[in-house]
Amino acid sequence: MEKLKVQIIEQLNLEDMEPSDIENEEPLFGDGLGLDSIDALELIVLLEKEYGIKVEDPKEGKKIFESVKTLAEYIESRKN
Amino acid sequence: MDIYINGLGNISPQNTISSDNFLTDINEVNEKYMQVVQPVYKEYISPKALRRMSKIVRMGVVSAQIAMKEAGIDMPDAINTGTGMGCQADTEKFLKSMLDNNESMLNPSAFIQSTHNTIGGSIALGLGCNNYNMAYVHRTFSYESALLDSMMLIEEGQGNNILVGGFDEITEESYQIRARINLFKNSACNNLNVLNDNQPGALAGEGAVFSVVSNDKTENSYCKIKGIDMFFNPDNQEEIDTRINDFISRYNLSANDIDLVIVGKNGDKEYDVIYDNVCNAVFPESDIAIYKNLCGEFDTSSAFAVWAGSNIIKRQDIPEVMQHSKKRDGKIRNILIYNQHRNVNHSVILLSEC
Repeated sequence: MEKLKVQIIEQLNLEDMEPSDIENEEPLFGDGLGLDSIDALELIVLLEKEYGIKVEDPKEGKKIFESVKTLAEYIESRKN
Repeated sequence: MDIYINGLGNISPQNTISSDNFLTDINEVNEKYMQVVQPVYKEYISPKALRRMSKIVRMGVVSAQIAMKEAGIDMPDAINTGTGMGCQADTEKFLKSMLDNNESMLNPSAFIQSTHNTIGGSIALGLGCNNYNMAYVHRTFSYESALLDSMMLIEEGQGNNILVGGFDEITEESYQIRARINLFKNSACNNLNVLNDNQPGALAGEGAVFSVVSNDKTENSYCKIKGIDMFFNPDNQEEIDTRINDFISRYNLSANDIDLVIVGKNGDKEYDVIYDNVCNAVFPESDIAIYKNLCGEFDTSSAFAVWAGSNIIKRQDIPEVMQHSKKRDGKIRNILIYNQHRNVNHSVILLSEC
């Protein structure tokens, strides 16, 4: 999960943020980290580039990108 | 109609962010190219907006904010921008990503931010400004075109306070490409001694200058912008001289009425001679000043000259570092800015006291 947080910070250029600043279950979009639609595209690229995972169904996105925890769980499930 | 410069913001290789001092603390560099002194951007832009902005976007947005604050306006009637090369760093990032990833898995941010109108768009988004917004990309006519459009909007009654800016950034890659063909100097050069440097090409630079132009004179007004002219590929020196003389006479002035000529000499001896010829033939009695020893050469560097000329008229002071030849002691009423790029794009801008 820590590695994923580092990758998110790097990919989204979240200046001055440390992995410890992102709670595992904190919402990534909206009130939580405050990411937007361009960030969602960046996260899709991150998944493909770093983990070889393609998000095929756009409807899945909302659930996958809910938090770092859901994202990590999704990566694990696709690995298996 | 009189058009005034009511606010200015300048991010340059010099300490120009604050208007308290005017070129009193000069940065001397011995580098291949000059880079801007970057402000603490967080003091101007929210961290959320800042994280996606590359250097040139930050430079543009902040210099626009400074100009608007000085002019005392919250919302411009139009935003006109000029840039020769646009967002080079983001363009390079995107192209490199295409190569590295075999044209797949491309990051959207760099692509979205790589367009020439990114700065104008970012300023408008930040302000919530839905007014006229235009980006001009005409190499070394870019800033002049944006300024001309702004003046025309005011003259046609389509706006009263127009935000107009010129900006370009230098990157290592773009420098290398242009140095290879001798557009820029290949080795380090002292900016304050640039006119004596014997390497071919110009000393490269970068910067962002925004101004608020208006038909209202205020307590903050720097000067009037009387006019602009651009001409392309003149046949000979005589044509340049005639064109500049004709331009001045359009405003019922003679060459002798021009107290100061600010020329774009950049250390490229092959083309600097054109400025000398114009100064000797047309302006033998005027003071001559230079400015590219302060900001380097870039496509919209004439915006820096407008910033400098406006301050000179307002403060009635030609900074020592700009003085090239001094012949007069009287009041500085009219300044002509003359810039040319390798004898292809020539532009003149006339500033007058207000």
